[in-house]
This record gives sequence, structure tokens and C-alpha cells, in this order.
Amino acid sequence: MIQILTGIRNTSAALDAEQVRLDVISQNIANAQTSKDVDGKPYQRKVVVFDTALQNAMSGTDANGNLPAIQVAKVERDNRPPVLQYDPGNPDADAHGFISMPNINIHEEMADLISASRTYEANLAVVKNARSMAMQTLSIGKS
Amino acid sequence: MIEALFNQPNYLSAKKTLDAVALRQEAINNNLANLETPGYKRVDLAPSFEQQLERASSSNDAQQLSSLTPSLAVDTTAKSMSKDGNTVNLEQELTRMNQNAMTHSLETQMVSKMLAKLRLAIKGQ
Repeated sequence: MIQILTGIRNTSAALDAEQVRLDVISQNIANAQTSKDVDGKPYQRKVVVFDTALQNAMSGTDANGNLPAIQVAKVERDNRPPVLQYDPGNPDADAHGFISMPNINIHEEMADLISASRTYEANLAVVKNARSMAMQTLSIGKS
Repeated sequence: MIEALFNQPNYLSAKKTLDAVALRQEAINNNLANLETPGYKRVDLAPSFEQQLERASSSNDAQQLSSLTPSLAVDTTAKSMSKDGNTVNLEQELTRMNQNAMTHSLETQMVSKMLAKLRLAIKGQ
């Protein structure tokens, strides 16, 4: 097929990947107070791991001449220990009155959220730009 | 096709620049797409292409111009600002994208006007 918007495939892959990242961040924020996840333990923070197709060091392209695209490799659990909070009134508190809360730092999540949405915006700008360039190219020769 | 009509050095160099701009846009797209990929090295037009284009268009050599093909290469001059070795900088890349869009707009207008001039010469009105 003709590619009118060249390289748009990688941009949409990036938009997809950032969308997953935004989803995971919102899940983390939503569960910042979840002391009992489905497995009965406090919710564990999740992190998205990105990777890319193998990049040829010389030309920056793979065997088919495509530039490498970003993809979500996996969504992993953050293994930092849960935060102990003193809350003797809570029914889940242990004998000393402590309760394990998720290992989520809300400031960290907000910073990640901003970084992810900036990247998303940048890729959207690319789509807009590619579109206007394609429209200009199509108007060559019209007078 | 009547070769002589479309073989003027000016027209050829505008066309080649347009090719280069389209390819550069692809490189910038890709750099921005990989803004968060660990270890990604930014790509751009091979610097040798720009030198060749400049040399060919200053010597008005139609044959040399039409044999040029732009290519991409990993930018070895870019320094990594973060620990993961990624060499893409969002602001720089967006600026380059805008520059590139301006160049594209200029070149499409040039090509259009050259064709319009040719049409005028043929029709004589």
C-alpha cells in the first residue's frame, strides 16, 4: 500500500505504548489506598517496560529497512516493600496496630503522568504535522 | 516524457530537497516515537547527503543531482542526557520538526510555481 503519511506506523505504536503507560499510572493512583488486593496483600505498584525492535547500529534500520518502533515489553510489579502505617482501628491491622499500605508515592506517579502525557502530545503533534505536509504535497501542481 | 522539460537543475534540486525533507520527517517521527525507549539513538539524514546536494546544486550539474538519493544514519554527535542512553531530546526534536515543515512548505511551493511557469510557457497565456 502507498504510505502517504510516511513513518506514521511508528508514531501510532508510540501512541499505543504511551496509552498503556497512562492506563497503568492511573491504575496506580486509583489503588494508592488499596490495602487488600485480589491476592489479599496490599496493591503493588506496576511499571511499564518499553523496548524496541533490534536496531542496526550502522543504518538504524532493521532487515526490511523499517525504523525501529517502540512497544510495551511487559507490565511489571514494583518490588519495593509495602509501607507500614499505624492504624490500630483498621480491621486488617496486625497485633501491633500496623497495616501494610501499597508502595505508591503519589508524587512519583504525578511526575510520570506528566512525562507520559507530554510524550503523547509530541506524537500527536507529529501526526498533525505529517498530515499537513501530505496535504501540501498533494496540492503540488494545482494552481 | 520530454526530458528537457523536467531536467532543469533548479527543479531537480527542489525535488531532491523535497525527497530529503520527507525522509527527514520520517526520522523525526521515529525519534519522537522512541522518546521513552531505553538505549535508542536518534536518527537523521546522513550528513554526507546534504554536502552532496549542496555541491551538486552549486555546480548546476543535472546528472549529479538526479543520481542523489537521501539516506538515514544514526546521529553520532547527539549526547545522551539521561541514564538509559537515549539520545532524543523532545524540545530539539519538535524544533527540527517545525523547521522541516517550513522547508517542506517552501519546496512544495517552489515545485508548484515552477510547474505553473512551465504551463504558462506552453499555453502562452
